[in-house]
Order: sequence, then C-alpha cells, then structure tokens
Amino acid sequence: MNNHHQSRAESLLLWLLRAAASLIFVTLLSGLVRLLITGSFHYDISGMNRLDKVGDAIIGILLPATVLLLFFYYSLSDNSTPLPAYVNVSHIAKVAFKSVAVIFLLLLSFSSSAQNRVTVSGTVKDAATGETLIGASVIIKEIPQTGTATNAYGFYSVSAAPGEYTLVVSYTGYESILQQVSLNKPLTVNISLSAKNQLEEVLIGGNRPNNDQIASPQMGVEKLTMSQINSVPVLLGEKDVLKTISLLPGIKAAGEGNTGFFVRGGASDQNLILLDEATVYNASHLLGFFSTFNSDAIKDVSIYKGGMPAEYGGRLSSVLDIKMLDGNKKDFTVEGGLGLIASRIKVEGPIDSGKGSFLVSARRTYIDLFTKAAKDSVVKGSSLYFYDINAKGNYHFDDRNALFISGYFGHDDIGLKNTFGTNWGNATGTIRFNHIFNNRLFSNTSLIYSNYHYQVQSFLTNDDFAATSKITDLNFKEDLQYSLSNTHTLKFGLNILHHTIAPGNISSSETSSVNNKSVEERYGFENALYVSDEWKASEKLTVLYGLRLSGVALLGPGTFSTYAASGNTVSSQTYSSGQLVKNYVNLEPRFSASYQLNDENSIKASYNRNTQNIHLLNNSTSSTPTDLYVLSSNNIKPEIVDQISTGWFKNFHDNLFEFSAEIYYKWLQNQIDYKGGANLIANQDVESQLTYGSGRAYGLELYLKKKYGRFNGWISYTLSRTEDKFSAINNNSYFPASQDRTHDFSAVGIYKLNKRWTLSGTFIYNTGNAVSYPTGKYSTGGLTTFSYSGRNGYREPANNRLDLGATLEGKEHKRYHSSWTFSIYNVYGHWDPYTITFRDSKTVPNTTEAVETSLFPKPIPSVTWNFKF
Amino acid sequence: MKKYLFNTILFLFGAALILDSCTKVIDLKLDNAASQLDIEANLTNISGPQTVRLSTNVPFSNINTYPPVTGATVTIKGQTGKSYTLTEGPQGSYSTSALAGVAGNTYTLNVLAAGQAYSAISTMPATVKMDSLSDENRPLNRPQNGKDQKVITVYYQDPPGVANQYRFILWVNGVQVKSVFSYDDQLTDGRYVTSDLLEQDIDIYAGDIVKVEMQCIDRPVYTYWFTLESQQANNAAGAVAPANPPTNVNPATLGYFSAHTTQTMTLIVK
Repeated sequence: MNNHHQSRAESLLLWLLRAAASLIFVTLLSGLVRLLITGSFHYDISGMNRLDKVGDAIIGILLPATVLLLFFYYSLSDNSTPLPAYVNVSHIAKVAFKSVAVIFLLLLSFSSSAQNRVTVSGTVKDAATGETLIGASVIIKEIPQTGTATNAYGFYSVSAAPGEYTLVVSYTGYESILQQVSLNKPLTVNISLSAKNQLEEVLIGGNRPNNDQIASPQMGVEKLTMSQINSVPVLLGEKDVLKTISLLPGIKAAGEGNTGFFVRGGASDQNLILLDEATVYNASHLLGFFSTFNSDAIKDVSIYKGGMPAEYGGRLSSVLDIKMLDGNKKDFTVEGGLGLIASRIKVEGPIDSGKGSFLVSARRTYIDLFTKAAKDSVVKGSSLYFYDINAKGNYHFDDRNALFISGYFGHDDIGLKNTFGTNWGNATGTIRFNHIFNNRLFSNTSLIYSNYHYQVQSFLTNDDFAATSKITDLNFKEDLQYSLSNTHTLKFGLNILHHTIAPGNISSSETSSVNNKSVEERYGFENALYVSDEWKASEKLTVLYGLRLSGVALLGPGTFSTYAASGNTVSSQTYSSGQLVKNYVNLEPRFSASYQLNDENSIKASYNRNTQNIHLLNNSTSSTPTDLYVLSSNNIKPEIVDQISTGWFKNFHDNLFEFSAEIYYKWLQNQIDYKGGANLIANQDVESQLTYGSGRAYGLELYLKKKYGRFNGWISYTLSRTEDKFSAINNNSYFPASQDRTHDFSAVGIYKLNKRWTLSGTFIYNTGNAVSYPTGKYSTGGLTTFSYSGRNGYREPANNRLDLGATLEGKEHKRYHSSWTFSIYNVYGHWDPYTITFRDSKTVPNTTEAVETSLFPKPIPSVTWNFKF
Repeated sequence: MKKYLFNTILFLFGAALILDSCTKVIDLKLDNAASQLDIEANLTNISGPQTVRLSTNVPFSNINTYPPVTGATVTIKGQTGKSYTLTEGPQGSYSTSALAGVAGNTYTLNVLAAGQAYSAISTMPATVKMDSLSDENRPLNRPQNGKDQKVITVYYQDPPGVANQYRFILWVNGVQVKSVFSYDDQLTDGRYVTSDLLEQDIDIYAGDIVKVEMQCIDRPVYTYWFTLESQQANNAAGAVAPANPPTNVNPATLGYFSAHTTQTMTLIVK
C-alpha cells in the first residue's frame, strides 16, 4: 500500500489514456487483419461464400473485439489491490503496442516485396487413411532454402517467383514425393504420401530422409512416432505415451506407480499436457500406473523442453502436445486388443464419402473381474477399474473450411467393500474450425472445455460423507499462421481461458460425524496474446522469435484473505461477483536460433521466459487423485522461469543417425512448497499453508538416435542438477529438489527380425530420488521418533531395469489382421525403491531399521492379442 | 474428519498397491546429528505428578535408549503468575505434584539446561467428554484362524462453535500402538463424532484388552502431532517429506510442551 492514492481525476485521465491507447491498438490490429486477409486495406466481401464470411468475421471482428475487452480488463486496476511495482500495466501495454506496431510496419514493407511472388499451398495426407501428416517437410527443389513444414492440420504454404518448380514432400517413415508445379497463379496442391515398409527400405540419394533436426530453429523439442511408442515394451503390455517419452533426454519418469514426469528439473505440475489443445489435468489412471492417453487414438506426440514457441504458455517446464487421429477417410476399420488387464477397441471410417471421418476408441481394465472371483473377502469386495473413451469427427466443407470435434472422457474407480470409495476423471472437448483465408493465411479457431474432478466417499454408518473437488476450464483460442514471404512465417493469436475451481465440497447425512462443508469456489481468467516469426535470415541462419503477453485475473465473488509468513490472517476482504481481486501481467520473450554449419551440423541457442498461474497443491510424495489447483492470487505470485540453452546437432550417414548435445540453465522464481503439518483438503485457508522460494536447474543432455532400418532406437543420457531454496526450509540454503537426478540413462532398441517378428528392449539407469533420512532418533509420546537435519540430503538407491518385448504379426488374411505382443517388465527383478521408511526393528528389540518397499521387484510378463478388420 | 479423507485414500491405496508389494530391511549409512535436547513436557488436569522429561537424541544405529539431561532447572508458571519448580528424580525426569492444570488457563514452561534457556507456552482446552469405545471388524479385515481383525472406535460429542483438537493413545494388552492419532474439528464441528483408530501395528482380536486415552490439546500441539502423524511410515500412499515437526518450544529444539486434559477408557474386545 505504499503507492500514493490517486485522485479521481487522475485515475479518470489515466483510464481515458488507456482507452485511447487500446482503441489505436485495435484499429491498427484490425487494419493488420484486413491486410492479412485481402492483401490490401480494402475489404470486399461480395465474392465470398457464406462460410468464408463467417470465418473472416471471426478473425476480423471477434478477434479485435476480444483484444479490446482483454485490454480493458488489464487496464482495470482496483485501488484496494494496487499492482505490485514490478508489474506496470501501462509499461507492458506500451511494449505490446510497440511490438505490434513494429510487426505491422514490417508487414507493410514485406507485402510490397511479396507482390511478385506466387504461393502454392495445400494439405499433406497419408495415402492409405487420409490422415493429415503433421510436420511433413515441403521444399522447392530449385530453391533449397524455401523449406517449410506442414502445421498441426497438415497445411503448408510456400511461395516463389513465377516459374516451373519441383516440390519435394517428405515425412519420416513415408515415401517422398516429387511434384511438378507451374507457378503462374496461386495454386492448391494436396499431396498423399505412402507409408514405407521398413524392411524394404533402401536409402538412395534423391530420396534420403530429411534433416529437420539440423535445419529447424526449434530446439529442446522431441517428437515420437506412434510406431516407436507401440514398439517399446511397457508394464503389463499397456502402450503408454508418457512412459515412453520418459526415455528421452531431459525427461525423467517420476518412478514406478507414478505417471508424472519431470522435464529439465521441473515439477510434474509444471508440464502443460494438451490433448487436441485441451488441458489434461491428471494424466494418470489407477494411481499412476497407466496414463490417460490411449495410444490407439493418438496421431502425434511432441514435447517441448526449452525454446517454447510463443503459441504455448501457462506452464514453466514443458509442453506435451498430443494430437488425436482424425479417423480413416477411406475405409471403415475396426481394430482392438485383448490384454491381461485391459482391452481396447477402435472404430473409424469416412463420412460423406471422404469429406469427413470419425474415430471412436475405448479402453477398459478388468482387474475387477478377477477381484470379484477372489477368495479373499477384502479383495473380493473391492472395485478397481478405469475406462476411457476418445472420439473425434471432422468434416471438410471445401478446400478452405473444415470443422473438427474431439472429445475425451476417462474415469477411474477404486472402492472397498461398503467402506470407502474414490473416483476421478478428466473430460475434455474441443471444437475447432479451420479456415484458409487465402493460400498464405491459415486460421484455426478453437473452443475448448476441460474438466477434472475427484470424489472421495465413505459409506460407513455414522461416518458417511462424499467429498468432491473439481476444476472446469472454458477456453477460446484463435491461432493464425501467415506465410509472409519465403523467409518469414508469422504465427499470432490469442487465448482467453476461464477457470472455475471448486476446491472442496463435503456432503454427509444427518447422523454422520462429518459436517456439510463447502469451500468457496474460485474464478479467474488466464489470457494471452502472442506473436512469433520464423525468419530464415540466410541460407544458414534461421531465427524463431516471438513474444507472449500473458495475464491472470482472479475474480470474486468470495472472501479473500492475505496471510503472513506465519500463516496467520493479516487481512480479509469480500469481493462481489466479477470484481477483480488480483491480477498479474507478464511479458514472455521467446527466442531460438539455429546456425547450419553444413548439411550435417548445426548449432542452436534459445532463451525463453515462461510463467505459470495455476498451481497444483499435493503434498503427498506419490500420485494421488486428490489434486487441488489454485490460481495466482493475493498470496501466490506467478511462477516464473528463465531458461537459456544451447546445443550442437549432428546428422550423419545420410541422416540415418541423429546426434545432439544440449546444455541448459534455468532460473525459477516464486516456487511453492508446504509448511509442516500442511492440511490441503477442504481447507478454506489453504494458501496459509504455503511457503515460497526459488530454484535453479542445469544440465547436459546427450542423445544418439538411429532413425530407420531393421534396427533402430536411441541412447540418451542426462547429467543434471535441480535445486530449491526456501527461507523456511534448510536454513535458506539450496537443497536438491526431490526430482533431482544426477544421472539418467536410457537405451531403446527395436529390431525387425523378419516379416513376422519384431523384438524390442529398453534399459534404464538413474540416480535415486533425493530424500530426507533421519540423522538421529528420540522418543516422543511413547513412540520412537526420528530427527532430521536438512531437506533431501540423501539419495535412494539407484534404479535400473531391463524390459523386453516382442511382436508377432499374424499370417496375412484377406479380411482381418492380427498380432501378438509379448513383454517382460523388469527382466532381472531389480528392486526399484518405491519408499524407504524407518521403524522399530521387528527382529531385534530396542533397535530401529530401514525398510525398502518395492512395487515390482519381480519380472512381470504379459501378453496382448491385437486385431484389425 | 479430514483424517478420514487421508485414511480413506491411504487404506485404499494400501489395498490397491501395496498389498502384494515387497519389503526388505536394508543397510543405510546415515549421518549423526545426535545430542540435541528433547523436551517432553506434559501438564494435565489430573492432580498428581506433572512430568517434564529431558533427554538427548542418539544416532539411528544406537539402541533406543536416550541419555537423560540432568541438573536442569525446570519451572511451570500458571496464568496467575505463580511459578512451580519441578524437582528431578529419576535422572532427566522432572516433576511436581503441587500443580494440576485448569481448563482455559495458559501455562509457561521454562527450562534451563546446559546453560541454554528454553520456554514454551500452552493453553489447556476445555474437556470434551469421551462418550464410549466400540470394536468392529476392520475395514480391511483378514480373519486369522477364524478370528476377525478389529478396529477400535472412539465416540464423543464435539462442542459446536469452538475449535477443538484431540489426540488419542491406544494400548492393546498394555502395549502402546505405534501410531499417532490426532484429530481436529474443522470438518466435524458440533457433530457426534465417530473416530476409528486405524492402525497397522498390532492386530486386535476378541479377548484383547484395549485402553484409550483421550487428550484435548491446543492448536500448536495438534500441529506437532499431526505433522508427526502425516510423516508416519505406514502411510502407504507415501508420506509427506519428513522433517522435525514444528515445536512450540523457543528456541526450537526437539519435543513439545502440552497442557491438555486427559481421560481414559478401557474395553474388552468381544
């Protein structure tokens, strides 16, 4: 409250100035939009069809209007909650305004030079299924530096001076295509690629695999193909995206019984997990043994560890972008699998003779069928299952307009014989509208719903209750991609995300011990504006740079308390519905560049700032469904990370092998931990239980990959350190974060033995978790109690494990195809520590002992039968 | 009853995950930060010796015997300002019979040990009457030789409109169960409360004699016990990161000062 109080006249003036700035900003922006759409400031709608009008209206009117609203939103600042000095709204507005103006001027200058260029655009698809291919490379052979890649919807756009050219279109695992084009007027060229048979693959000069890794300015990104994910052996035969990505450098699995993963030292809630653009809050089934992603329904998996593109934001450490398959546009197919613990089925096919397609995929475990048959009465009366359903449909009205609707619904249920039960699940829905304004401007408008909820129930007489908690998001996104010239591709857009968080509701009967209780719901917006440009500065240098303006606004109604470091309430204020409680605005610069030394070598560097305004509170060391989310508030500041990284990338043997070495350093601010005895469940004052600090993380990642051939796979090694510093913990000195692992090694090999057998294996080794062990003992309340000296001063024993798998393809049949997948998890039965605990010895009286618990210290075999009609 | 939320999850997880997992005793090299003072100071509402025990902690690998701290000066001051000096005997155990705590009063403990002064404040809450005990089959009952495993349940009427905290201690055939049971009334204020003393230490069968002590404790003392409880090793779901629980003793050392009311009940399990 050290800001001087502004007079009414002053604040009115300030407000008017902001309004004027906003108006100029919006006028400029709509001018820019018009320019992008039509190539001139003159906008003629007479020749457009209705859909085009709708699409253009969304961009031309809705976008500026929402920007206006957003802007006014941030201009609002309640006198009772002054913004902290370091968040200066008008300063940020100026920066944003300037950057947009600069881009606008840039565009003007480029648009003249672009006049004498002709653009070819289109979609790249799989020839057999009609699925669009993401990230396929499109190059004009005659001008090698004109490379581009298809976007998330398979769309590409390249331009050149009029003339005769050859397009080279290639994609990992597919036959490349050379396509002649006569560029005299704007062209639409849709291309279909056929999948290669890996056994017959021969590498020849004109058809060699692409060197994207060398050429792309993007760094810190890993992509996995579904065929790789499907070949890697996993626990109980359930193919798992999250388990497989943890075999990549810089990404570490949280350990057995946990699908959480840590990216470059980040905590598991610092990963943004997107399924068709919808946030998935809890990505685990059955307490973390399986992930919520049914790999049958997935088309593409990318994970960004650093150099985050400006279109992503909201989490500190990584973006895991998972895209669902669209569905087969050519044929109806049914496929599925029968496994030891789960079965799955997928149906897909064309709609309106290929104008659209649909896909429905479902999966359910049936451990509960076995438990019902069990003799043990406890096991018999328990329920233990999950299921999930993925569904997607798309329809292409014409070459320029397409609609996609996708949804996910997952549910877990664990219950125990009329005593307790818990269930949880995610639901997401995405409606997307693709609109191609012209062959240089691509637009995607998304409306996204996401929900996570959990319930804990007691059925005991006199103790019954049901406690629920949920978070619901509604998200509007507008993303635009504009091929400004051969050397500039712009991406820009906005995101308006509304959260409703119901932290805890307890209902009970009259006779229960438990009261009905409802913790106040919380509402807020997370909004963002971004712009980025991929600039091919020269044949050797490519730069990807951008800005993301992100903001969070916590809104009433409700009573909001401010807490002292001790946890005591300092002040408390009641807000009405929609009243601003607290907002933060952050500007996030993103930059990455690659310099191509030659065809086989490049060096890259990146810097990015990311902020996070939604924080997961869960002080248990394992993955429980009782996840509680809170927004940045009067107590919680946005988490901020600054990351720099650099790396050397090398391809060799005709791009058959990829090697990379990357180093990174991260500075983390406003990190969250819990006070001793923190109670997070159904607690109105949950923010009083938190303590704040900072962190740092740095490391080296080495990665060698053989991309093709009968034998393929990779080796990855990460040397890293992650440390936290909290004034309330460890005497304010750095201590290893629990996700800190000094060494992390994994090797994956897949070998196609012959036409029918494919063998695979993975080996992992990593340093044990950082943990606190006792440094003494004493007696309190009649119990042996352990004393501790510092946080995480010890290491659990190192973990290592070998898994093997084999796939047997069935004999060729005209009408169906089947295959068997066999796997053995933990082949040599290593004890991976789940927990290490301390207790009074059970054998030697009056002494204490340390006890290691391991979940799967024995080999676990499994078998799955897969079929396809 | 948030404890129920926790216990629910923990027990379910126990059922789901740990049922057939494997444990083994391992050898660990642990640092030694011994010889820290442990103050265990209790003041009850019952006349009789009020005892403060002073000892030091020992290395993990030692036997469970804790050296007494002798020759200390220990006083407890009542709300009226009257101070009682506790006399030592046996070694490390300081007591007085001149004092019985009164509900609503605040007491100050002063300890001068090895030249260092410590103090702690605790307020004795009003007594909430323990109503009854019962035995039922455990939620995770696995009958042994045809005998059902039991869980002991405590019943009491929580007074509405005031914050209450409780700690229970359970003995089975005279042996204390190695679990901390601490409850507050954040979710049960004003209810007739049923608290299951779920534990994984001693199996209880028909014929066993169980004794339960109920303590009404103040908030800082509750935080002390609740922290210990949430770090307990038998949490199948993985306990919170362990650390010394927040103490009400200043400057911070091991232990606590608890002014609490106490009552006990005994039950022969049927």
